[in-house]
Amino acid sequence: MLRESARTLFERAGGSGRSRKLRDSGGGWDADMIHELAEAGVFGVTVPEENGGLGMGLAAGGVIAEEVGRVIAPEPVVVTVGLSLGLLRRLCPDHAKLEQLVGGETVLAVAWQERGPNGGPAEASCRYADGKLTGGKAWVVGASGAQGFLVVAQGDAGPVLVLAQAGADGLSVEARRQADGSAMGELSFSGTPAERLASGDTVQDALADAVSDTTALAAAELVGLSARAFEITLEYIKTREQFDKPIGSFQVIQHRAVDLNVMCEVAQSGVREALGLMDGEADPKVRARLASRAKARAVTAAKKITRDAIQLHGAVGYTDEFDIGLYLNRALVLSAWLGDDAYHRRLWFMAREAEGAA
Amino acid sequence: MMTDWNAMSDADFRKEVRGFFEAEYPEELRNLPHRPKFAEIAHWHRKLHAKGWVAPAWPAEYGGMGLNAAKLLIFYEEQQRWGVNRGRDMGVQMVGPLIIKFGTQEQKDYWLPRILSCEDIWCQGYSEPGAGSDLANLRTRAEIDGDDFVINGQKIWTTMAHDATHIFMLVRTDPDAPKKQQGISFLLAPMDQSGVEVRTITTLSGETEFCEVFFDNARTPRENLVGELNKGWTMAKALLSFERIFIGSPSLAQNALGQLESFARGRGAFDDPVFRDRFAQAALDVEDHAALYARFADQLKRGETLGADVSMLKIWVTECFQRITELMIEAAGPDGGTIGPLQVGNVGVDVLSSFYKARPGTIYGGSNEIQRNILSKAVLGLPG
Ligand SMILES: Cc1cc2nc3c(=O)[nH]c(=O)nc-3n(C[C@H](O)[C@H](O)[C@H](O)COP(=O)(O)OP(=O)(O)OC[C@H]3O[C@@H](n4cnc5c(N)ncnc54)[C@H](O)[C@@H]3O)c2cc1C
Repeated sequence: MLRESARTLFERAGGSGRSRKLRDSGGGWDADMIHELAEAGVFGVTVPEENGGLGMGLAAGGVIAEEVGRVIAPEPVVVTVGLSLGLLRRLCPDHAKLEQLVGGETVLAVAWQERGPNGGPAEASCRYADGKLTGGKAWVVGASGAQGFLVVAQGDAGPVLVLAQAGADGLSVEARRQADGSAMGELSFSGTPAERLASGDTVQDALADAVSDTTALAAAELVGLSARAFEITLEYIKTREQFDKPIGSFQVIQHRAVDLNVMCEVAQSGVREALGLMDGEADPKVRARLASRAKARAVTAAKKITRDAIQLHGAVGYTDEFDIGLYLNRALVLSAWLGDDAYHRRLWFMAREAEGAA
Repeated sequence: MMTDWNAMSDADFRKEVRGFFEAEYPEELRNLPHRPKFAEIAHWHRKLHAKGWVAPAWPAEYGGMGLNAAKLLIFYEEQQRWGVNRGRDMGVQMVGPLIIKFGTQEQKDYWLPRILSCEDIWCQGYSEPGAGSDLANLRTRAEIDGDDFVINGQKIWTTMAHDATHIFMLVRTDPDAPKKQQGISFLLAPMDQSGVEVRTITTLSGETEFCEVFFDNARTPRENLVGELNKGWTMAKALLSFERIFIGSPSLAQNALGQLESFARGRGAFDDPVFRDRFAQAALDVEDHAALYARFADQLKRGETLGADVSMLKIWVTECFQRITELMIEAAGPDGGTIGPLQVGNVGVDVLSSFYKARPGTIYGGSNEIQRNILSKAVLGLPG
C-alpha cells in the first residue's frame, strides 16, 4: 500500500525526469512535492500517532526511501524522517516544529559533524552559550533550502540541541556542490542566536539513534536506486544491437547482468531485514550495528551496479543525456554520506566484537 | 643540428625532459581537470613547437623527435609526472602516423607541418550511432563527384570536434562490398563548411568533451583520401595496435596513484590498516603493470610488431586506474560526492574529476569486453 502510493505519487510527478529538471534548474527541491509527500503521510511515517504521525516503524520508512531512490528524488525525505524528526520526536515531541515538519510546512537541516584541520571529520567543538552559537559544522545535507538548522553543540553543562533560523545573525552557509547537483553546507556561526530545544546526555543518545535510523534509511534509498539502475540497464542491453544482435545476447554480458541482479536482490533482502530488526530492537548499540550492516551492503551494491551500468551502456552511459549517469552520480553522494561501505564494515565488526565481549 | 636523443643515456634524457617541463610548463595548466580547448593551451603549444617537441614519436625527418620506445616512455612519464597536458594531440598521435605510414609525399608535405604547428586541429570520426564496438558497421557514405568526395551521414562521440578544424574519418565508399570490412576508406575532411554540423554532448560530469557530427553533402577534395580506396579498414587496424599500447601505458594510473598517496596521507587514511592494504595492492598493480609494459616496449625497441596480446596492457591498466580513483573517493570519506578540489594541507585534489576521468578508459579504444574477446581467441586460441 505504502509502496504503491509513494510510487504513484513520484511517477505522476514525472519520475526521474522531474529530478533531472530540478537539478538543471540549480539543484534543490520542489516545494509542492514536499506538500504532496506530507499529505501522503510520508514525513510522519515513524512519528507516533498522538503527535500527528502514522506511528509506523523504520521498515515502513525504508519502503518510502526505496521509492525516493528509484526516481532519485531530491526532496530531503530521509533527512527529515531520520534526522530532523528523529531528533525532535525523541527529544521534544511537543515542539511546534515537529508538527510543521510532519505537515510539510517547513524543512530543517541537521548539523552535528565538524571538519578538522586535515579536512576530515574531527571532534566537535562548536559551542552554545548565552543563547548563541559559535564555531562551525560541516556536511550539512539540505542546507541550501532549509528554513532552519537543528544544531548539536556543546553547552555549559554538556550537549544541547538548538534551533537556528536560516539567515540568522552571524550564520554563514557555504554550499558545496555535489555530484548529483545538490548542495552540502558548511556552516559557520559567530554569535548566532539559537533556541535551546533540549540538553544533557539524552541529546547525544537521541543523536546516535537518529543517525542509526538515517543510515539505514539511506541504505534503503540506495537499494531503490540500484534496483532502478539495474532495470534501466537490463532494458538497454536487450535493445542495443551490435554485430547484428542485441548486446544482451553475448554471454559475458548475460553473466554480468545476472551478477548485478543477484547483488540487487541480496542488498534488498539484507537491508529490509536490517530495518525490520531495528524496529524490534531497543539497544542502541545493536541498532547501530544493524544500520552499519545495511549501509555497508547497500553502498557496495550501488557502487558496483551503477559503475557496471555505465560500462554496459558504452559511450551513451558516459553522457548526461541518458538517465543512467544520474543514478551513478546520486549513488556517489548517498554512498559518501554517513559513511561508505568500508567505514560501516569497520563499525559493524567493532560493534560485533563489543557485543561478544559483553 | 638535429639532436640524436636516442644516443643519450636514459638518465640524461630524463633530466633534459624534466628540466624543460619544470622550467617552461605554465603552472596554471598543471593537472588540468578537463580537456582544454586549443586557445587555452596555445601559449604552451608554441613553446613546445619552437623546441621541436610536439611529436616525440615521429621520425626526425618529419619534424618529430624520433624517440625510440624507451625514450618515448621516459618522455611520457615525465609529461605525466609534471601534470603536463597532452594538448590537442589527435593530429600528432593518430593522423600523423597514418599519413607517415600510408600517405603520399604531397600529403606528408602538406599536412605534417600543419599538424605540428596546430594550424590544423584534428578530431577522430570513427564511431557512429550504430557502429561502436562493431565499427565495421559504419554507414557514413562518401561518393566521388568530380574532384571531390561528397559525404553524408553521422559520426558520434567525436572528442573535441567542436574545437577542431579537420576530421579524419572512416567512411563507406563501396556499399556493395561482400563484407562489411571491405568498402571502407580513410578520408580527411575540413570541418569549416556548410555541410558539416557539430552538436556537443554533455558528459555525466557536466563537461562538453565529445560531439555529434552531421554530414549533409559535405565535400572534401579527392586528394584527401589516405591510402587506397576501400582499404581503410586494414589501415585503421594498423593504427589501433599503436593506440592500444598508448592507452595501455602506465602513466595515467601512475599519476593517479601519486595523487591518491598524497591525498590519503593528508587525510589520515593510512591510519587504517585495511586502507593501507588496499593502497599497497593498487601500488603493486601499477608497478607490475609497468614491468609488463616494459616487456612490450622492448619488443618495439627490437623492431618487432606487437601481437594481439598487447590488449592485456589496456585491460589491466584501465581497470587499475578505476580502482585507484575509487580509493580516492573512499579516502575522501564524507567529501566523496563533492565536486571540485578537496583541500589537503595547502594543495587541492580533485577526487571526483579523477574518478570521472577513469570511467571511459574501459569503453573507448576497443572496450575491455572486446579486448577480452580478442585475447581469448587470438592469444588463448579458444574456439568460437
Ligand atoms: C570519452 C569517450 C571519448 C570517445 N572519443 C571518440 C572519438 O574521438 N572518436 C570516435 O570515433 N569514437 C570515440 N569514442 C567512442 C568509442 O570508440 C566507443 O564508445 C566504443 O567503440 C564503444 O562503442 P559504444 O559506445 O557504441 O558501445 P557498444 O558497442 O554499444 O557497447 C556497449 C556494451 O556492450 C559491450 N559489447 C559490445 N559488443 C560486445 C561483444 N561482442 N562481446 C561482449 N561485449 C560486447 C561493450 O563492451 C559495452 O560494454 C569515445 C568514447 C568515449 C566514452
